[in-house]
Amino acid sequence: MAITSFDIKDIQTANGGKRELTDVVTEMGIEIEEATKQEIKVNIDPNRPDLLDFVGMYRAISNFTGKKKPQDNRYKIANPPAMTIEVQAPVKKVRPYIAGIVVKNADLSGQKLKYLINFTEKLADTYGRKRKKLAIGIHSMAAIKGSLTYTAVESGSITPLGSSRQTSFDKLMKEHAKGITYQDAVPTFGRSYLYPLLKDDSKTIALIPVTNCEETKITESTKDLFIDITSTSEVALGNAAAIIACSFIDSGADVYPVEVSYGKTKKTTPHLEYREMKVSMSKADGTLGIVTGRHNIISLANRMGHTAAKYGANVLFYVPPYRIDVLNEQDIIEDIAIAYGYNRITPTAISGVTSGMANDSVENDNKLAYVMVGLGYTEAINSVLTSEEVSFANMGWKPQKDSYVSIADSKTSSITMLRPSLLPGLLQNIAASASATMPQRLFEIGKTFHVKGGKPVEGKRIAMVGVHSKANFSEIKSVVEALFGQMGTEFKPERHDSPAFIPGRCATVSAGGITATFGEVHPMILKSFKIEEPAVAAEIVLV
Amino acid sequence: MHEYEVKTLDFLAGKSPASLDELQAGTGLAKDQAMWAAESLLKYGAVSVKRGASRSIQVSEEGRRYAKEFPEEALVRSLAKKKEKISNIRDQIGLSWAKRNGWITISNGEVSLTNEGAKLASGSKQYQLRELLGKLIDSGPEPPAGIADRYKDAIADLAKRKLVDMRERSQIESISITKAGALLLSKEPKERGIGVLTKEMIKNGAWHDKQFKPYDINAPTDVSYPARLHPVREFTNRIRQKWFEMGFIEVEGPIIESAFWNFDALFSPQDHPTREMQDTFYLSNPKQLTIEDVELIGKVKKMHIQGWKEDWNEQLARSSVLRTHTTSVSARYMKKLAKAVESGSPTKMFSIGSVFRNETMDYKHLAELRQYDGIIVGDNLTLSNLIHTLKSFYSRLGLDDVKLAPSYFPFTEPSLGFFYYDEAHGDIIELCGGGIIRKEITAAMGLNKTVLAWGGGVDRLLLNDKIFGVGTLPELYKNDIAWLRTRGGIKV
Repeated sequence: MAITSFDIKDIQTANGGKRELTDVVTEMGIEIEEATKQEIKVNIDPNRPDLLDFVGMYRAISNFTGKKKPQDNRYKIANPPAMTIEVQAPVKKVRPYIAGIVVKNADLSGQKLKYLINFTEKLADTYGRKRKKLAIGIHSMAAIKGSLTYTAVESGSITPLGSSRQTSFDKLMKEHAKGITYQDAVPTFGRSYLYPLLKDDSKTIALIPVTNCEETKITESTKDLFIDITSTSEVALGNAAAIIACSFIDSGADVYPVEVSYGKTKKTTPHLEYREMKVSMSKADGTLGIVTGRHNIISLANRMGHTAAKYGANVLFYVPPYRIDVLNEQDIIEDIAIAYGYNRITPTAISGVTSGMANDSVENDNKLAYVMVGLGYTEAINSVLTSEEVSFANMGWKPQKDSYVSIADSKTSSITMLRPSLLPGLLQNIAASASATMPQRLFEIGKTFHVKGGKPVEGKRIAMVGVHSKANFSEIKSVVEALFGQMGTEFKPERHDSPAFIPGRCATVSAGGITATFGEVHPMILKSFKIEEPAVAAEIVLV
Repeated sequence: MHEYEVKTLDFLAGKSPASLDELQAGTGLAKDQAMWAAESLLKYGAVSVKRGASRSIQVSEEGRRYAKEFPEEALVRSLAKKKEKISNIRDQIGLSWAKRNGWITISNGEVSLTNEGAKLASGSKQYQLRELLGKLIDSGPEPPAGIADRYKDAIADLAKRKLVDMRERSQIESISITKAGALLLSKEPKERGIGVLTKEMIKNGAWHDKQFKPYDINAPTDVSYPARLHPVREFTNRIRQKWFEMGFIEVEGPIIESAFWNFDALFSPQDHPTREMQDTFYLSNPKQLTIEDVELIGKVKKMHIQGWKEDWNEQLARSSVLRTHTTSVSARYMKKLAKAVESGSPTKMFSIGSVFRNETMDYKHLAELRQYDGIIVGDNLTLSNLIHTLKSFYSRLGLDDVKLAPSYFPFTEPSLGFFYYDEAHGDIIELCGGGIIRKEITAAMGLNKTVLAWGGGVDRLLLNDKIFGVGTLPELYKNDIAWLRTRGGIKV
């Protein structure tokens, strides 16, 4: 998901004007983050990178509202190639694919330059996976001397955008903001970087995917552009090139192809192709539960940017090159639904009777929870995410590292593992409830996690804590015995030692696959949880 | 006079003035009973009371975490190693306090240490706030007056940061009996009717010729708190009830899941951003899980290569994750159904369980949240059926004014979302996302049926005033006993 924003005064004219822009955009399935009088901020789903672009968004809204109809074969390029790129061997192993587009008579005045930069940056950030998979560079065509070479080198230098001094690549990676940000996207060869670059007859015009050179910088008055797109994926490269080329065509500029030569093989980019997709009208109606027959299916297609023709019982959709999200008929059927209007679909009940049924394990938890409430314990629900400090250090316990489930990388230090037991969570709750009237009694039923023989084991436990000045062993024993009685399990406790409990005041009981440990909580444990009153506790392994 | 008042005057006749503690010890009254008696006697001028102020300063849970290190200290420590761009500093709290303390300066977007900051980073100077916090932890909730007075401003800072909870109240210091009180006591009759009814009296009828001493029905009593279920269990059971009513069977599935079931089987491309570590919790133990169904692996691989036109790595699919949605449970169920496809009535299934996101927490986001997920498997099912099902569910929860819009998920096409406008929070809240499971997925599973699917947040619904109305989600899982005892009920 990527958030981008457009000025209302720029985008408003795409709307037919009859309805609120925000309503139209929501109906199109575009999530609005925020809308003010000046600006609309939208959250673009990853399947529609074409909408990150102002021109693309403008096109989508004006098609949807019927203000502008899509034309047949609009995105065909008749112009001859206006540039060549030669791809050399070293880059083929690390970032093999490059496409070029030459744009003449572009209009970058007003907000247009800002929108273009914003679009290409976000496209490389999301669809290009932070430039690792795909990156885009825009250059002033007039500043390029001769033809271009795409290669990769171990060292070199460039005058990075915004600077007046030549800087070595190695230095740039360590000191330049863009070098630091995109470190992970630069390929390595052994221990050093292998820098992909694009050069003309006199200079390096781009250190890919980090920065362009200052010499080919574009401004609001630049008319002729050269755009390079590089990628590790040929599919992604073709898609991004198509989206960008269609955008310039719709903005009224002239788009010229670029010839890319991989030794003997030559390719011309961008490759703009309409895909023909046959959709059965009865299938569309059957999937959506509507009757499109009454509506003009062609006009529904047009609202989503497609052109279409009727073909007997089927409709042939011509999917424009920028709609990279359309994989097959299902995606077209969704487009029909969006154009028809989700809110106009009549909700229809499903025929056929089915009976509901509860899950035994969930019902068993409920049964135990009601018993515990009857015994005067209030229920707590804690997160299963916890830390070694809470689970082990505070409990005076040090388990084998491979016996519990640990998390690889977390945003907070309080989350490093999954809880192997419930008691630490309840003791934390008690500590946080110090001011509540005594006696305090809490219980929890929930999942606990272990690793056995390299495999995760999800168990179920119930634990309880009672805190007040007179809390003692016989109180907790009586509660555990009552619970065992309710479960129909034999209760024959044995003396037990556990670091969590006072020696000699702890017992265990095991019967019918259920094991309970209970007793008076050790004052060391109380101190580590900052609990100031005596506590008794039990933890029962159910599964 | 009430029994408590008589006891109080009786005691004070022998020792006056007396502290509240002495009074309690001497009369056997509980604190609130003794206080009530003193206040009541004060009204008839039978006692005089000397008051003092008492202040309690309780270090909060967050405060205890800060006792090791404040965020501003962590920040100067890291700045001592390396200067930072202000845009790279994520901890805004640490930043603003370090600035306020004069430890850092910011120029040209770059943050650097002042002399004072450097002293702190090197440990040659201690942070006053942290030292104070340590003292407050050691002294307990009633610190010596010296501390409270000397560090008044600093304590106010700690309170503002919610690191301590400060309460001030007036308290009875001592109570003395007055002349009027002594007179009142002397007039009190010694024989005062039956106090406590005993087993003996019932047996022998001794109460027949006596009077029962009337009680003051306004005298204070101990507050009773019922033990209660957690609101999330109560509400989960309500939701389950709704799905049962609508003919759904309940299913459970594992929390620790392979990327395969959580992502790959659901057509989520392997380089999709949500699969990255910053959004998903990957496990370091166990690192990899076995995927038992070898045939399915082959089909899923084919689905990815054909659909996304990119390579598919089985090793990545084996990574173990904490499930990011309960749709993994639905996916497993679809595969199970494929072995036993029935014709006729559709199969309806739901599951409720925890899901995990490695994201920053706020009022509507937590690292662990609960979701309900459901599927309907059958022939000739439509998007209009799905809309009907979900509207019917929300209407059963009292949410009639829900909004529907197109949405996007890699595993459904068409996709939809339901939303509602939450007035209390002034925010549009997503109720659920759903759609028709892509044919690529059902084909890979060998399930020749249409599958309607959805998933939505359980906890989020509790933000809604019509349902429960908790202010923030973290509050829901704090398990503060006072809150659990006195919270409102689930309204649906």
